[in-house]
Amino acid sequence: MIDEALIQEVSEDLYSAALRRVPPDTVRALERARGREEQESARATLDLMLRSAAAAEANDKFVCSDSGVPTYLVEIGGSAQWQGDIKAAITRGFAHLVDTISPPLLKHVNNPLTNERGFAGKDMPSISVDLIGNADYIDITCIPKALGSGRWASIKTFISPSLEEIESCVMDAILEAGSQHCPPVVVGVGIGGNFDLTAKLANRATYREIGSINPEPMLAAMEERLAEAANATGFGPMGVGGSTTVLAVHIDYAFGHGYTPVAVCFNCWINRRAKARLHSDGRIERIF
Amino acid sequence: MATVHLSCPPPRAEIEKLAVGDLVYLTGEVIVTGGQPAHKRLIAHIEGGLPVPIDMSGVFIHLPHMIEERPDGDGYEIHYVNPTTSRRFDEYMPAIIRAFDLKIVGGKGGLGRDVVAAMRGTGCAYLSLLGGGSAILSQAIKKVLQVEWRDFPPHFRLTKLYVEELGPLTVGIDAHGNSIYEQIETTARARLPEIMARLAKRREAAEGTR
Repeated sequence: MIDEALIQEVSEDLYSAALRRVPPDTVRALERARGREEQESARATLDLMLRSAAAAEANDKFVCSDSGVPTYLVEIGGSAQWQGDIKAAITRGFAHLVDTISPPLLKHVNNPLTNERGFAGKDMPSISVDLIGNADYIDITCIPKALGSGRWASIKTFISPSLEEIESCVMDAILEAGSQHCPPVVVGVGIGGNFDLTAKLANRATYREIGSINPEPMLAAMEERLAEAANATGFGPMGVGGSTTVLAVHIDYAFGHGYTPVAVCFNCWINRRAKARLHSDGRIERIF
Repeated sequence: MATVHLSCPPPRAEIEKLAVGDLVYLTGEVIVTGGQPAHKRLIAHIEGGLPVPIDMSGVFIHLPHMIEERPDGDGYEIHYVNPTTSRRFDEYMPAIIRAFDLKIVGGKGGLGRDVVAAMRGTGCAYLSLLGGGSAILSQAIKKVLQVEWRDFPPHFRLTKLYVEELGPLTVGIDAHGNSIYEQIETTARARLPEIMARLAKRREAAEGTR
């Protein structure tokens, strides 16, 4: 049985782990980018990124000072055996993390109405829930999203847009973010659905493993050409020039209704995320 | 692309020699802060003609930091530092640069056009720190010299640090008004029609095979 204690423990561990390393798929992507990069200064920045990732992991330090806000994706299988208040468990997990983590976290959560700062806020943690068929487990992904890349997300609604309009919208968002979002980034794009679903598609697209092939051939081709286009802009690592502005463009889509929202969001080069599978028998399996 | 080791505050001649793209390592005293509240208070002090509790001349970096007083009162625990987005402070920076005659500013992502103009006036360069470079950058912080405005959370305080070989930092804006950020953005926008044309060609080729 998956209970509150297990969910609390796992959600806390995932957060702490996500802060202390760059995920393996992202390290590999940075290494590949280092090999392809045309500009000497950009290669030096990519080297520094790889050194920083290694130093954080080896010394058990944070990669970035901005620990973001607790953001979780909870995917529940129809045959999972679980009991309890998942939101309360994750909330307690984060509260315990704040009290015990070393080094300590900074107060990054604010009340948007009063600007008051703290570790907790209304409707926190941000939990997105999905139902994943008949699986006998619950997957929890923790994505500590910070200000640097978080603030550049955008959404625009079109009426029956052409692929050209969609791709132009993505390029506009990439140019708007420019040098600001700690590139090279993973770009997440959501096409269609309704307002909230579109944003969710874009967000979740950033969680996908870098190097994985989009099962939808039309989108796989779009991802490849948009990544090439983004890297031709020349913003480069940390936005100080180079041919590596994105590590990947990941796209997902959903039903339409003539009006088509297009959402674009970014994950900075450290691409923090950690995922675990909670099996019904209480086993914990770390996915990444 | 030169690599330069500077002691802080660096002599004006050394700063004027820096060119965009150069790599810099800093040793000496730097003033750091991370947030809007400290910038707003700096502006209030400048406008009100009030003294700021730290000598601000020299090097000023947008560097949120987790530094705590040790419980026994014996100095500070330096947990970590990491740069933040400088452009968030564009509206405050020209007045701050002029008021304190700043010679080096830093952070990540550069500064806007009005700030670059103020920097040219005082002969100030901008250094880009690696966002997500906390594990490396924090090792360069050797001593906490002064912490002010303790009513703010740690990352928003105005703090004077002694750093050794803080870097490598990239010169993003030189003291003569050349901004790599502006150059790159102009180039990217100029390239856009060509990039869109190539996208269209690849899209047509892909759709043609379906």
